[in-house]
Amino acid sequence: MNQAAQSAQSSFVILQIGERRLALPAQIVAELAPPVRMHCFPHDTPSILGVILRRGHIVPVYDAASALGVHASSAQRFFLIARRRFGKAREFGAIPVNGDCELTAGELQPPAADRPSCVSGMLQYGDETLDVFDLDALMSSGLAADALDSAESRA
Amino acid sequence: MPSAVRESVSRTAMKANPRRARRQETVVLFAVANQMFAIAADAVQEIRSTDSLGASAIEIEQLEIGKVRHTVQRGGRAYFVVNAGMHFGLPVTRPTLVLILRQRRVAVLIDRIERMAEISDVHPLPLAFSGDERRWYCGLAHVDDLVIPVVQPDGFLTDDEFRTLDLAANGSASRPPIEGAASA
Repeated sequence: MNQAAQSAQSSFVILQIGERRLALPAQIVAELAPPVRMHCFPHDTPSILGVILRRGHIVPVYDAASALGVHASSAQRFFLIARRRFGKAREFGAIPVNGDCELTAGELQPPAADRPSCVSGMLQYGDETLDVFDLDALMSSGLAADALDSAESRA
Repeated sequence: MPSAVRESVSRTAMKANPRRARRQETVVLFAVANQMFAIAADAVQEIRSTDSLGASAIEIEQLEIGKVRHTVQRGGRAYFVVNAGMHFGLPVTRPTLVLILRQRRVAVLIDRIERMAEISDVHPLPLAFSGDERRWYCGLAHVDDLVIPVVQPDGFLTDDEFRTLDLAANGSASRPPIEGAASA
């Protein structure tokens, strides 16, 4: 692949949450953090499991499995650290993953009509077609699991 | 693979938090239902056992705000007694201590005091937290490898709740104190 063709492609991080494989745009991903202690305290925000300490920052941990409607796996001991936007502010958040994350380049295809709004596109990855998620929309909608369920039951 | 992700996204990687000018603050670490909290020491006027306050507790008849069932009189002033476990949605416990807050008409039922601590930094609550916790906490502190919420002293009762309780308390004021009521 020449340089021009390569630059037309985008980079994605492929990850597995429960039984679902999905992709996130690589530019929002900061790092894959090793297993660390998650700290929990009372709160009223359903999409958050707790917080971790990473490089002196307190990073909220998102319940991405529930947002996707899948069961969290006990193998999810690593944390994928990604940036989210809150208006003009940006903040790091963590997603529990099993550690098998891959970086790949590819062309973002438009999302299928039946995908929920938190799916920003599709990525061909080997034999698989993966949903590329808009993390902000996924974690703020709360409706993603139902929408994904109904889209998959129609498929 | 993890290493591939680590190397390729290094351009956006988290940078270590730069050291900031730090101001030491003394906090009281307390526990409710085995959950640790911190509160600024200068927000606490007095710590008493529930037994010692029982004689001055007056039951208030209202069902709207379940976390408050009594007032206690201290220095000629009535304090609404907030059950911290109910406030934070924690399992029911049997509180043994009461934190009487300074410059607020609030006393807080807790299980136990862990200790005092000096904290050098209160981290703001991450923006991802969007529920009532934004009112409950003024931030998070890192104490002995634990992340502990720092309680907002003004967050135990809203202005509306004070109004409701004031109305209810006025109706209960003429009744005699109830023995042991603050421990309920």
